[in-house]
Amino acid sequence: MPTLRIDHDKCTECRMCLLACEEIGINAVYMELEPRHRFEIDVHKCTYPTCVVCIMYCPAPGSIVEDETGRSLVPPPPDLWRDRPKKWLRDAILVPKER
Amino acid sequence: MSTTLPGKELAQELEAQSRRQELRTPMERVIEAAASNSLTEDQFFRLTGQLWALNRMFYYVYGAWGSSLTINQYPPSVDYLFAKQVYDDSTHEMLYSQAILQRGWVKFQRSALRHPYCQFTPASGIGLYVFSMRGLANYDHNLRMAAMNLGPKVLELSWLERLGEAIQDEYLAKLFSSQVPETRSHVLMGRFTVERFVAEQVDADLCRMLVPMARADYVTALTGIADFVLNESTSS
Repeated sequence: MPTLRIDHDKCTECRMCLLACEEIGINAVYMELEPRHRFEIDVHKCTYPTCVVCIMYCPAPGSIVEDETGRSLVPPPPDLWRDRPKKWLRDAILVPKER
Repeated sequence: MSTTLPGKELAQELEAQSRRQELRTPMERVIEAAASNSLTEDQFFRLTGQLWALNRMFYYVYGAWGSSLTINQYPPSVDYLFAKQVYDDSTHEMLYSQAILQRGWVKFQRSALRHPYCQFTPASGIGLYVFSMRGLANYDHNLRMAAMNLGPKVLELSWLERLGEAIQDEYLAKLFSSQVPETRSHVLMGRFTVERFVAEQVDADLCRMLVPMARADYVTALTGIADFVLNESTSS
C-alpha cells in the first residue's frame, strides 16, 4: 500500500492535517518532538488511500506527497477521486474507530 | 501537478535580509543576561509584562487586518492561515498572562492589567510598532503578511529560540520555547504567501519597502523592552 509523508520544504506547519486526522479518529499525524517539533505521518496508523482527509484540507500545495512515487497530492489529483470506492467515507471514519 | 511560484525568489530575498539581522536585535542583551543567570525575578516580570502588553495589542492589529479582508479575495487557504496566526498569537498572549499569575507576580488578572509593568504605553517603542502594524491594514493582505511574517517574525523566532535555551528557570524557559513552533509556522506562512500571491512588480516593490520598515519598527519595540527589562529606563 502506498504511504504519505510531509514535504517540510512546502509545509507551513499550520496544523490543519493534524486537526483533520484527529477529528475523524485516525490520529496518524503527530508532532515529532526531535529535532524541531515538526509534523509527521505515522504510516502504521494512516489509512491512505482509503482516507485522504489531510490532503483535502491542506492549504499549502505540494506539502503532502506519496512516498513511493514522490508525486504531490495537494491539491488532490483527479485519480484520487475517480478510483475511490463509494464507501470510502465509512471506511475512513468508522473502521479506524472500531479498531 | 506543477505549480509556478511567482514570488519564490522574492520570498527568499526578504527572509534572508531579516536573517542577517536576527543576531543583532536589542534582545541580545536580555539573552546574555539570562544566560549569565543575572536576571532577577522582577526583571523577568518586566519582560513578561511588556511582551504580554505587546501581544494583547495584536487583537487590535489583526482586527483591522481582518476587517479589510473581503470574501473570495484570496483562496480559503489564505484566510485559514491568517485565522491560525490570530489564534496562535492569542495563545501566546494567554501564555504570558498565565505566567504572570502562575509566578505569583500579581494575584489576579485585573491587577495584572493595572500593573505598570504590563501597561501598554502609546508613546513607546511598542506603541510605534503596534500603530505601524495597524497602518498596514491599508495594504493588501499579501503585502502585510509579507511585512510581518518575513520581517519581525523572523527576528522573533530567533530571539525566542535562544532566550528559551538561555534561561535556566525551567518554567520560564518553556514559556518562550513553547512559542517557537508556532512562530516558525508564521514565517513559513509568510514565505507561502509571498511565493504564491506576490506576482506583480508593484507588489514586489511594496514588499521590499514594507518588510524593512516593519523590521525597523519591531527593533524599536525590542529596544524599549530590553531597556525596560534591564532597568535602563522607567518605561518601554
